[in-house]
Amino acid sequence: MLAVNEITKQYGEKVVLKNVNLTFEKGTCYGLVGPNGAGKFTLMKIIVSIITDYKGSVDSSLSTTSLKEQIGYIPQDICMEEKRTANSNLQLFGKLYGLKGKVLEQRLKEALTLIGLKNHGQEKVQTFSGGMKRRLNIGCALMHRPSIVVMDEPTVGIDPQSRQQIYNIVDDLKQKGCTIIYASHYMEEVERLCDYVAMMVHGTIIEEGEIGEVLQKYTQPSVYVEGEFNENEFGTLGTFIPKNAGYLMQTSEPLKTMEKLIQYCKRNSIGVNRLELARPRLEDVFFSMIGSQLRD
Amino acid sequence: MSAILINEIKNSIQDRGLVFWMFILPLLFTVLFNAIFSNEKVGLANHDVSASIVPGYAVMFSFFIMISMVTVFVKDREKGMVARLASTPLPSYAYLLGKWIPHVAIVMIQTTMLFIFGLMVYNIPFENPMLIGILSIFLSFTTTGLGLALAVSVKTENMGLAITQLVGLGGAILSGLWMPIDLMPDIIQTISNFTLSLFTHYAVALPIGWVPLDLKSILMSTLLFVIIYSIFWTGYTLYYKRVESSMNEFLDNKE
Repeated sequence: MLAVNEITKQYGEKVVLKNVNLTFEKGTCYGLVGPNGAGKFTLMKIIVSIITDYKGSVDSSLSTTSLKEQIGYIPQDICMEEKRTANSNLQLFGKLYGLKGKVLEQRLKEALTLIGLKNHGQEKVQTFSGGMKRRLNIGCALMHRPSIVVMDEPTVGIDPQSRQQIYNIVDDLKQKGCTIIYASHYMEEVERLCDYVAMMVHGTIIEEGEIGEVLQKYTQPSVYVEGEFNENEFGTLGTFIPKNAGYLMQTSEPLKTMEKLIQYCKRNSIGVNRLELARPRLEDVFFSMIGSQLRD
Repeated sequence: MSAILINEIKNSIQDRGLVFWMFILPLLFTVLFNAIFSNEKVGLANHDVSASIVPGYAVMFSFFIMISMVTVFVKDREKGMVARLASTPLPSYAYLLGKWIPHVAIVMIQTTMLFIFGLMVYNIPFENPMLIGILSIFLSFTTTGLGLALAVSVKTENMGLAITQLVGLGGAILSGLWMPIDLMPDIIQTISNFTLSLFTHYAVALPIGWVPLDLKSILMSTLLFVIIYSIFWTGYTLYYKRVESSMNEFLDNKE
């Protein structure tokens, strides 16, 4: 288990983190979301010991070794030696954690397989695509088999295949009992990968918890319908909000609403092109809590 | 530390810019300016020119290591490598040493190469190799130390390059390294003498604590040095002027 307790960080007069408390359970993935400037990056830098002058504490009960040896940090920037090969980069990071000889070689092979670059170890990083570089960036942080992995937007600017590969890596790490702290602006990604989520604004946690519970707390299930009618025709069924080519209705009883809607359409001979249960999304929670206005 | 050290050595070997600035350019300049200043029209003996140019250029071009150091440190900072390494168990001093030591070695190799070149091609006098070796080691630590200070102070690579050019080339002209000092105008020779005297003063005054390492003390000390230097310079000038006129008077009377 890893816990941050009462973390406060100031840059001069500006407070970027205010009394942040979070607990990360072993083997879970924890999503950090929030607009730019919310304090996610600063919090991650504190967890991985890049920032050391702050109030509060970061405690780990995972083992007796130092926190730095337990953590693998994957920054948003591609931090590698571009003119060197993938193998050289992985070896460099392995050596920084004290790996050498056969163990280093074994971990190198493991990492290359995990990140899907098994056949590219001897190639220079500057010849890699964006997705390959991102995966190698991840591999460098996994050489020492960390028990905690901190990922800062690892899927920025890459193709769907590479993104899927990164999702697989995260799933694999979770299965191995790794604790993952995952910061991202892509809500669907956080929903797909994370077990827990913390929403940050102006240096504070405004909501946190298990993703399903957060969704349940802030959103209702909805029914989406597309057909040959307009919203005035729904009568007593409820209020439908226009969305895309159809209408969306939030309801606590989605199945009953759908049933009524089908009967209504049958009775009035209205053609229905599409009728479905719309799943609540984290993005809706995010916008409802933080707002959709642009932030500078 | 060894991981960073070995990595930096490999990077340096692959760095073509470094090879050009530190090894090819000094050799080209040595050959070119030896040819220029050895020309009969310039009026200097060939032996004197080489003996001045080779060590002068060894010192001048050793300052160019600052370019490489600024590039290495600024790039590491800009691409987030420093922050990433800070998250690993690597101590900060190990990072600094791992990046610094290869540059010290490069300057030593460069100085050795230029002296061997001077010895083999121009037959420069090489009477006290031990002393030259010790001075080369000091030179390596001085230039790379300045490079390190510059690399951690500047915000951009271009700023570092500009300051290095200013220190390297400007300092070389003022210190009489760029060309044999006898060829320069009187005013430059005086500035050169002053600069070298000032450098020597600080090389002694700072390490033993005559002058504390803060801006106010350095400015005060420099001002004091300028006043004392001016008094001595004026005194010597007046003295030699008087000697000159008395000698001229003696010659006039003789005729």
